[in-house]
Amino acid sequence: MFRIAIKDLKLFVAEKRSMILTFIVPIPLITLFSLAFGGMGKSSDVRKLPLVVCDEDHSISTKRLVQQLDSLPQLRLFHTSLDTANDLVQKGKEDAALVFHKGFADSLEEGKNLPIELRYDKAKEVQMGMLMAVLSGNLMHLVGTKSLERKAIVRFDQQNPGMDSAMKKGVHQMIASNFGGGTSTGKSEAILTSTALSAQAEVSPGLIQAVAGTAVMMLLFSVAGLGASLLQEKEEGTLKKLLFSPLTPGNILFGKMISANIVAMTQLLIMFLFSWLAFGLDIKQNIPGLILMIIATAFACSGFGIMLASFVKTRAQVQGLTTLIVLTMSAIGGSMMPTFVMPIWMQHMAVFSVNYWSIQGFYDIYWRLKPISDPDFLMRVGMLFLIGLVLNTIAIFMFRRNILKIA
Amino acid sequence: MIKVENLVKKYGETTALDGISFEIKEGKFFGLLGPNGAGKTTTISILSTILRPDSGTVRIAGFDLQKDPDQCKRNIGVVTQEIALYNKLSAFDNLMFWGGIYDVPKAELKTRISEILSLFGLTERQHDKIEAYSGGMKRRINIASAMLHRPKVLFMDEPTVGVDPQSRNLIFEVLEKLHKEGITIVYTTHYMEEAERFCDQIGIIDKGKIIAEGTLAELKKSGGIKESIAVTFNEISEEVAKKIGTFLDGEFKFTGNTLHYYSNQIKSDLGKLIVLCNDQGADISNIEIQKVNLETIFLSLTGKQLRD
Ligand SMILES: Nc1ncnc2c1ncn2[C@@H]1O[C@H](COP(=O)(O)OP(=O)(O)OP(=O)(O)O)[C@@H](O)[C@H]1O
Ligand SMILES: [Mg+2]
Repeated sequence: MFRIAIKDLKLFVAEKRSMILTFIVPIPLITLFSLAFGGMGKSSDVRKLPLVVCDEDHSISTKRLVQQLDSLPQLRLFHTSLDTANDLVQKGKEDAALVFHKGFADSLEEGKNLPIELRYDKAKEVQMGMLMAVLSGNLMHLVGTKSLERKAIVRFDQQNPGMDSAMKKGVHQMIASNFGGGTSTGKSEAILTSTALSAQAEVSPGLIQAVAGTAVMMLLFSVAGLGASLLQEKEEGTLKKLLFSPLTPGNILFGKMISANIVAMTQLLIMFLFSWLAFGLDIKQNIPGLILMIIATAFACSGFGIMLASFVKTRAQVQGLTTLIVLTMSAIGGSMMPTFVMPIWMQHMAVFSVNYWSIQGFYDIYWRLKPISDPDFLMRVGMLFLIGLVLNTIAIFMFRRNILKIA
Repeated sequence: MIKVENLVKKYGETTALDGISFEIKEGKFFGLLGPNGAGKTTTISILSTILRPDSGTVRIAGFDLQKDPDQCKRNIGVVTQEIALYNKLSAFDNLMFWGGIYDVPKAELKTRISEILSLFGLTERQHDKIEAYSGGMKRRINIASAMLHRPKVLFMDEPTVGVDPQSRNLIFEVLEKLHKEGITIVYTTHYMEEAERFCDQIGIIDKGKIIAEGTLAELKKSGGIKESIAVTFNEISEEVAKKIGTFLDGEFKFTGNTLHYYSNQIKSDLGKLIVLCNDQGADISNIEIQKVNLETIFLSLTGKQLRD
């Protein structure tokens, strides 16, 4: 078993093409994507989203909130009156306006629904998606208690009766997920200290998106290549020769799985090291989380590669299928662009991809700054292991069934 | 060492093996001879545990193939018809791997590898990648890789196909050495010279059936074919031919200008025949002795040429 794994690793190293594909190609890709998502470097370089703010409440709470939002690196705030804001957004001069209605401070105090409203330009859904991701996350951190979730959703619905249901759903999801992910602090800690804020802001979501998204996508490609080595053995007669030996089909497949996992973990590690050295992604802040995510992601992805090889007949087929499946999965799973800018139905599909769980997991670590014990984070890790387990089981089953046909 | 009874294997409509039985004693060099598609590879695949027969039993080294495949596997080595090596790894790494999967201890394995490499004359090239090897060298490593665990039985499926004379001779030397060491060898080929040279026991297979089996001498006898002398004349009149005929006491026939004379004592008859022809004034242009070999046996058994 281990001999097979060691041999496969030796073969992998001997094959320059696979080495380059696995360890070199992803680097310019990460760079490219992080440029595209504006995630280069630290927070100061981030492209800011413009946001109009109307404070109708004029309370200390709202002032402080606006101040804190203003300090977010992702946002550039403009203060205007409600009328001007409406006008600007309606005419498409600005994307959105955040309105704190009168009585915000009181409601906050009394734990009632918060009269807060986001008015936006319907034509700019993409910007809205990004804006909402930033806003909902931060607002919840700032005023978040677990119980606010329902209220916020209801409120949102009331404030935006004309909003189309798809968009509404997305907002609900966003709010819900951010509530779920938010610190479950009591009301007394409703407004977070600004230190926590700046910690969160140190890295741009664009960078995380670029690193995690690219890493998972490239990983899928390289493990598919490794899975294809099984077919290569079949085609070159070495698989048959392995079966002459006392090794069982299970041994052979396990060997492949081990080597696929080792390559996958190495690849992820290298990509994160690169992101650390080149873009300052602070990988040291949550090393256990990173390790857990790397293992889980590697397991799920290598399961994909092995599974593919176990039921496909030729290497040519693998190549075609890999490209198709990996690109599809990467697209819906958020490797190419963040899921929140995608249509809702696609966001629902995302849960079927390895990419989604992995990318969300990395967001948890580096953006949502969740500890390793966070249930949401653990759920995502668990999902990855589950996916890996299912794929590997299918692979073992298919392999056993097909292997006796090769003689 | 090997006992095969009534093996049947069908691939859909094709019957690849149609009830094959044979027994091979320890230390024998068994040749399985047959034309393309006869069922040689199918037989070897079943004996080497990677193909399940539809019916029939196989015992190898005292173990039942169905019940105890693991023990059977440890007692056999298989040299495949195709070269099955990792091209990107060196010969040494390949041998380390193929020996390793049989749990040969590392130190012991290294000794065996260096022995085998020198046996095959590849010591100097051992750290080159297989992809840089010539076809014949690959074949040699391919054979070496099947012997590292010192199997009692070695299956070889046409190991010399497409091999240059130099490699072929090296392979032959190794085969002879292994045979001397007492390893049981099952060898498939459609080259009769190889079978005649090495095999102490030959099975002739055609269309999934063993049509003859025994030592070369036994096969010659059982085939019922005699050796013959073919005398070709420049020109011969019917009259002269008839005359010669009256003097011959054995079986003979004329085809055109050639006289075929069948005999069991070719050597003594040859002189007599030449004298006879001279006496009758027939002008001999060529004399050929046609021996009985596997080719002629096969031809007489099946009416087909062994080679395409
Ligand atoms: N996987 C398979 N599927 C279907 N038919 C097969 C398969 N393998 C072999 N056969 C058929 O079984 C018969 C025996 O084939 P086999 O390979 O055993 O012949 P062989 O004696 O080894 O021939 P060769 O000298 O060409 O190697 C042939 O008719 C062949 O077409
Ligand atoms: Mg064959």
